[in-house]
Amino acid sequence: MELQVGDPIDGVLALALIGRLDTPGVDRIEARLTAHLVPRAARAIVDLSGVTFIGSGGIRMFITIARTLGRRGGKMVLYGAQPLVAQVFETTSLNIIVPVRADAATAAEAARS
Amino acid sequence: MHPQRVAIRFPGTHDGFALAFERFREALDAEELAGTPRFNTELVFEEIVANIISHGAAARRELAVAVTFETHADSIVLTFEDNGVAFDPCSYIPPARVVSSLDETQVGGFGLVLVRHAAQSIDYVRTAAGQNRVSVRLSRAQAAH
Repeated sequence: MELQVGDPIDGVLALALIGRLDTPGVDRIEARLTAHLVPRAARAIVDLSGVTFIGSGGIRMFITIARTLGRRGGKMVLYGAQPLVAQVFETTSLNIIVPVRADAATAAEAARS
Repeated sequence: MHPQRVAIRFPGTHDGFALAFERFREALDAEELAGTPRFNTELVFEEIVANIISHGAAARRELAVAVTFETHADSIVLTFEDNGVAFDPCSYIPPARVVSSLDETQVGGFGLVLVRHAAQSIDYVRTAAGQNRVSVRLSRAQAAH
């Protein structure tokens, strides 16, 4: 699992996750993703188009980070999920409690709001 | 089509899990399993094994896990056996989930929700030898279930 940092979009931090959010993947990435977002109370978008698999550990990670960010005034919006990853979001209702959008533009708009 | 059978044994540790998952995905590659059936099969493996490792450890006993993967014409059967504490996933009731509030929603229990959504059937037995045995049947069809 890899984390990439892109150019900000209208002041919104742009990150991308690439790989598998299975147990080993979450173990490798959670601390780094948290460190990029939480201390600065970031408004950020996270590109998931390169995430090929997600399990409950990935869902837990996103909820935990979103919760911590929200308490500090930050916000994380996920976007670009592949269909089977999006299906996991629906099954777990993640998309109800953490913002999920189709593309970077709408995700950045949601992150700023 | 003759059913294919692959058995993977590994210690119930994070390293054992990671290596076993690689071997499991190689077995899925050999079956040329793809799309929804591939994703769901990996998801069931991930969630059942993660649950075993997180909750199965018993005092004074090393956790050992065995996973058998069988393919049939229209289905896949995964059988998980471990020597951990008794746990019947069929009777587990996930916590009531508040989905309207990020602060209130609980983060536990998603794994079995995902397994139940992916599987056609789930069966559990506590064997005479004191092992948990969970069998999960999944569809090979590209559409869900």
